Amino acid sequence: MWNALIVVWRESLEAMLVIGVLLAWSARQPDPAPLKRGLWGGVAAGVALAGVLGYAAYAAQSEFAGQALEQFQLGMVLVAAALILHMVLWMHAHGRVMKRELERQVERAAASTGALLGVAAIAALAVAREGAETVIFLYGLGMEGEGAAMQLFGGAAAGFAIAVATAWAMARGAKFLNLRTLFRVSEFLLLLIATSLLVAGVDRMIGMDWLPALADPLWDASGILSDAGGAGRFLADFVGYRARPAATLVIAVAAFWAYALWRMAQIDRAGRRAAA
Amino acid sequence: MPAAPSPLFHLLLVLALWFGLGWATDSQAQELPTFEVVAKEGKLFPARLEVPTGTRVKLIVKNEGKRPIEFENLAMRVEKVLAPGGVSFVVLPKLKPGEYEFIDEFHMDTGKLLVIAK
Repeated sequence: MWNALIVVWRESLEAMLVIGVLLAWSARQPDPAPLKRGLWGGVAAGVALAGVLGYAAYAAQSEFAGQALEQFQLGMVLVAAALILHMVLWMHAHGRVMKRELERQVERAAASTGALLGVAAIAALAVAREGAETVIFLYGLGMEGEGAAMQLFGGAAAGFAIAVATAWAMARGAKFLNLRTLFRVSEFLLLLIATSLLVAGVDRMIGMDWLPALADPLWDASGILSDAGGAGRFLADFVGYRARPAATLVIAVAAFWAYALWRMAQIDRAGRRAAA
Repeated sequence: MPAAPSPLFHLLLVLALWFGLGWATDSQAQELPTFEVVAKEGKLFPARLEVPTGTRVKLIVKNEGKRPIEFENLAMRVEKVLAPGGVSFVVLPKLKPGEYEFIDEFHMDTGKLLVIAK
């Protein structure tokens, strides 16, 4: 019962945080309504995909099938990271144009369709990633027998409710920081989420021996802030914090941020040139 | 407007490279010192496992129980969810002499594995 509560609480809170940041980010865009619809559509698709992945985990009874499933999940986190980066850069460029040329309805519609699909895909991947484990866990425990199953779903429901309450409390807390500040940092928060996905993917690839770890660990900060529990664990899940990172991981994150910041600076320069 | 090559294209290129390298190095994993861990009835077998230091080590994890497991060591960033009958592996980094605890997060009170590097 406690296990069910904790597992469901942790996994759903992670997904809710991603949804929350996407919502804040959408609200800031020139035409938020379709984006929000896309977002909730993505959430629904993500729940379905989580179910399929959970089922696939039970169906994967050979080492080969297990490998294939793992590669699919790896692809999922990396694609999600790439999509977020792409969306942030794309809207960084388009937000400006869209505000200036609001009368050109056709272009605006085309632009929002792209953004809508992007937001939907990111939400779907985030929910599917967190949800798949929950599905596997709950389904396995659910097969135990009647009494245990009842307790289990009680625990799961309680975990989900607490996650909703936690997310709500966090959203309320965030409102005290001025809304405009929050919107301005949403781009940055999205890139942080992308970082956590990238880090999860690189960790997985090192564990699969697909990538060399190089120096491992490059440093050890577990004495200062351990990533195994408390605030460190939260940062590990949400922004990809690692107390003992491998050199490969540090390089990947540095490359990601260098690329993102370089492209954003490039877009800003082009925008200033166009305005002048 | 973003410049001609889309960032997505760049990232896909990087991804392709990574996956390509992945396939190329895939066979190396076979030659590492390999140990088997079996999960059954909420427990991990063996409960203690001695591994060599100074080399990477491959753990093959099999779930022979009736329930799913999550094989986990957060400090090493190992998190594997396995359904009943599932098999997977993880390559551990070079370990310093010492003890490292892995748990089955779905059976936190009973499922423990102590990896002893010496």
